Amino acid sequence: MKRKKKRRSVPVPTASMGDIAFLLIIFFLVCSDTSKERSLSLDLPQSGYVQKTKVSVAARISMDKEGILYFDGQPVEGPKDVEWGVRAVLANTVADDQRHVQFTCDAALPKEQFEPVIQAIVEAGGILEAVGEKRE
Amino acid sequence: MSRKSRGQEKKHRSGTIPTDSFSDIAFLLIIYFLVATSLVKVKSITADLPSGEKKAQAQTEKTPSVNLRGSEIFFNDKQVSFDELEARLAALDLSSQEGSKRVILLESTRDTPYGSYFQTLAAISASGGVVALVQEEEKK
Repeated sequence: MKRKKKRRSVPVPTASMGDIAFLLIIFFLVCSDTSKERSLSLDLPQSGYVQKTKVSVAARISMDKEGILYFDGQPVEGPKDVEWGVRAVLANTVADDQRHVQFTCDAALPKEQFEPVIQAIVEAGGILEAVGEKRE
Repeated sequence: MSRKSRGQEKKHRSGTIPTDSFSDIAFLLIIYFLVATSLVKVKSITADLPSGEKKAQAQTEKTPSVNLRGSEIFFNDKQVSFDELEARLAALDLSSQEGSKRVILLESTRDTPYGSYFQTLAAISASGGVVALVQEEEKK
């Protein structure tokens, strides 16, 4: 006579799953950097010297194909606005690491459009972080 | 009798909050963050551009200058290719120099596109140079 094998119930411990999941959420919330950038239509300049940006930037300035200037995603009038904006952002900074200002610009724009912006960033005390693409 | 049964009912009530679905909600939130998070890293160059007053004395004859005229590059008024510019900048050994000896004047014409400006700026910065922008007013 065959005995019926008793099936052992092996419960998977799921009590802590919720805790783990919430810890992961907190991790993502803390680590994620909300993008202030708009999706701009521009061709980035290329260079063999570009590297992944390791510093945290204080402000993001961008200029699209039409030469429209943006400060942290918001359109601004001109380089003067950029200068005052960067000055305001850097007012409470002490270390050099906090003075990096990211500048993204279309590769085809002429000097008279981009250079006043670069000068505005520099005059306001920012360290220029010019965004580009790695040249293959 | 009825009172008794009510009392028994009260005993059986459990005051626990249902937490079975918590992990499901949490994992849904994780999936949302995973999808929404952009992991693209921006690539850039750090350019050392000192701010300061526009002094003509900074443009001494010994200070090397890079002149961009459209797509053409001139180093100390001699036309060079981009590779030659890199070689000349490397020959200056700017990273071992101090103070004003690290300064490279960067001049450009109005029609210079940002692409070639960026490339030159990157080359000077990579060689350890400090870029001094030359404005058009100074030329007049």
